[in-house]
Amino acid sequence: MNSKFHEIDPRWAWRRYEPGGESPWNKRRAAHLFRRAGFGADTALLNEAISSSPEELIEQLVVGVDSSAFTGQMNQMMRTLAAGNNPRNLASGWLYRMRYTPNPLHEKMALFWHGHFATSGAKVEQPELLLNQNELFRRHALGNFGQLVLAIARDPAMLLYLDSATNRKSHPNENFARELLELFCLGLGAYSERDIQELARCFTGWEVNQGKFRFNHYQADTGVKSIFAEHGGFTGDDGVRVVLEQPATSRFIVRKLLRFFVADGDFPEALVEPLAAQFRADGLQLAGVMRTILGSELFFSEQVAGQKVRSPVEFGIGLLCGLDATANLNMLAEELGALGQSLYFPPNVKGWDGGKSWINSATILGRGNLARRLLTNSETRFGGRKLPEYLAGQGVVEAEAGLNRLLELFVAIPIPDSSHARLLELARRGDAWADVLHAITVLPEFQLS
Amino acid sequence: MKTRRGFLATSSSLALLSFAESTPAFLMRAAAAGAASNSERVLVVVQLSGGNDGLNTIVPYGNEIYRRARPSLAIGADQVLKIDGELGFHPSMRGFADQLEQGRLSLIQGVGYANPNRSHFESMDIWHTARTSHQSRSLGWLGRMLDELPPHSGDAPALHFGEEAQPLALATLKTPVSSVRSLERFRLDVGGRAALRRAIQESAESARGSSNDLLSFIQASTINALSASERVEAAVKSYRAAVDYPASGLAEKLKLIAQLIDAGFRTKVFYVTLDGFDTHATQAAAHAGLLEQLSSSISAFVNDLHAHQQLDRVLLIAFSEFGRRVAENASQGTDHGAAAPMFVAGSHVRAGLIGNHPRLDDLDDGDPKFHTDFRRIYAEILTRWFQQPADEILGGRYEPIEFLKADIG
Repeated sequence: MNSKFHEIDPRWAWRRYEPGGESPWNKRRAAHLFRRAGFGADTALLNEAISSSPEELIEQLVVGVDSSAFTGQMNQMMRTLAAGNNPRNLASGWLYRMRYTPNPLHEKMALFWHGHFATSGAKVEQPELLLNQNELFRRHALGNFGQLVLAIARDPAMLLYLDSATNRKSHPNENFARELLELFCLGLGAYSERDIQELARCFTGWEVNQGKFRFNHYQADTGVKSIFAEHGGFTGDDGVRVVLEQPATSRFIVRKLLRFFVADGDFPEALVEPLAAQFRADGLQLAGVMRTILGSELFFSEQVAGQKVRSPVEFGIGLLCGLDATANLNMLAEELGALGQSLYFPPNVKGWDGGKSWINSATILGRGNLARRLLTNSETRFGGRKLPEYLAGQGVVEAEAGLNRLLELFVAIPIPDSSHARLLELARRGDAWADVLHAITVLPEFQLS
Repeated sequence: MKTRRGFLATSSSLALLSFAESTPAFLMRAAAAGAASNSERVLVVVQLSGGNDGLNTIVPYGNEIYRRARPSLAIGADQVLKIDGELGFHPSMRGFADQLEQGRLSLIQGVGYANPNRSHFESMDIWHTARTSHQSRSLGWLGRMLDELPPHSGDAPALHFGEEAQPLALATLKTPVSSVRSLERFRLDVGGRAALRRAIQESAESARGSSNDLLSFIQASTINALSASERVEAAVKSYRAAVDYPASGLAEKLKLIAQLIDAGFRTKVFYVTLDGFDTHATQAAAHAGLLEQLSSSISAFVNDLHAHQQLDRVLLIAFSEFGRRVAENASQGTDHGAAAPMFVAGSHVRAGLIGNHPRLDDLDDGDPKFHTDFRRIYAEILTRWFQQPADEILGGRYEPIEFLKADIG
């Protein structure tokens, strides 16, 4: 798939999407926007979306709307979940947030940063610290990347996870410094082992005391360090600044944003560099680059439709969002873990690989079984009602029109005619919209976004 | 009369054969491949996670250095199950002692690699990928092998049974590998609705004209998953174990594997793990329990396969990411070490001890030194068991340790 990205003209790719002709602004494209920049949309939201322009919608997603009431409610809920002192309890709260947030792009970015600055409850056992880190992701979701890195470098959960909390002058611990270079900012090969050792010295004395960051100047190495040909008595903040000034940082982050929001796989330099240049010119502000990506010709083109594998969270929350459904989120959190994505428990410091790694026979069957549970469990409500009544209210009644409505809602790319015919046969049986929906969720196309 | 399973197998093959020309070639071959043959070889990998204490597994009971280094943990001559005048099994390993007597178990001693890494994560990665340097470690040694094999059927080429994340050893570039937590999770629940099951099956099989490689990959995985789901169900329904398996997690998984092998499941590699070997404190009881589970489960598995006339095509290996320190620590436990023994079971193995017990008067930073690189065992498996190009898969030339008998071909 990557080869075709090499043939794409970057000037066309990042030009602002102009609806019309072969790429009209319609429900299919609106559904694409909400799947990628959020967690999905139901019919009502799609109808609303096509009466605005894509530009207005993207602006609203990037800037966000006032969510103080929702945030207050969420904070209370999360503190309650944290009080159980078990980090496993937190996931259902975050799923709730993803399902109902008025600012889906901010929430999607928080999930992106959780995978990027992966920190696991398997090692950081205090839920409070994981929650605080999660709030940090949300606060800086579309803010300044440099400030986010500075905040993460002081974040107690991260300090504990990567052993910075034991980074002493006499025995610098290189774990955090290594990941700052390899996984957080620059990528493999853009630094030397020597840079890691010198950078680790900058963070000596950065400790955690009673769940809070503390600078212990007795343990701080104040000597001269040399990182990327710069020399000085650098502090940790200086170290971060030196790393962020490397041009590799902008390219590394843009590449990862493209993988997360546009298509699985690697993007050629020619497509990355224009956005990286914008990112640098903006002083590593994220909002501008995200506006360009989401509002681009490439983003709304056929070249990237269905070019991402849905993560388990996107699968589960996407199904709920599309049907305005409330479900047992504790059950959902556990099942998503079985499918490979336990929130607050990324598999390792590299986070989730994504793409094809989500898929194997067991996860395919697991996804199908999860969908069935969500659709048929008596606890699940759709717009406050049972599924048949809800669907009838949405105009999903006549077999063919109803099926097409559901496909438009959930499936990013067309399905083969013969698959369509099989689903239609099922829909004509009359009593079985839950079965039709179940069959849709097992379609290979449904696993794509 | 046609059985349900027979009918499904036929109909899905026909559906595959009716694919348009855009059908991925490997699916066509898969459809044409037909039923499993009884001569196809299988590898079962048992991973002992945490770092198994090799010294208390194959015990140098007569060694003075061993006894002195382990005042609370040393196992005496009167307790071990003797292998020879110097070495004996841990007393809880009756099953292994039986298999040794039957000529179906070989014990490869002093296995490890140069510059041992004592981090669980790193060392396990090294064992999984057969790469010790800073080369890319995204593919597993078994994954590389699976990528070499011609695709042969709808059955998963490798299956991992367990709750834990899929082992890196199985990471492939091309061939999707499945992880299975339990049989329940390996069956598609359609609420008993046959029409729905058919609609799902046929919707997945419809030819896709698209060049989207993610879609082709997911379609192949879906077809594979649906067929595996049917076959697992059928296999389990018809199976009668020939022996009593002990009541343990490992035994349960191995029994399931025996069922699938006996059902002619065309999976080449089965992978299970037994965790808990990281015995830093009060090791004795925990380690005894683990070794008991290991040895009795594997022994039952081998006996069961033998009774079903399947043992000839099955090889089982058990390994750990490292051994442990010679000296015990202050908490009646042992810390991370280096070289350790590896176990191989089957009817084609040269039974008995292979290689010398590592010397205890010549240590590497407190640990027994390795004399046999683990990749030499992989090389034997790849070259002689699977007839695959070991050098390419292992990224270098490793002289195979000949633990398989000469006459296996």
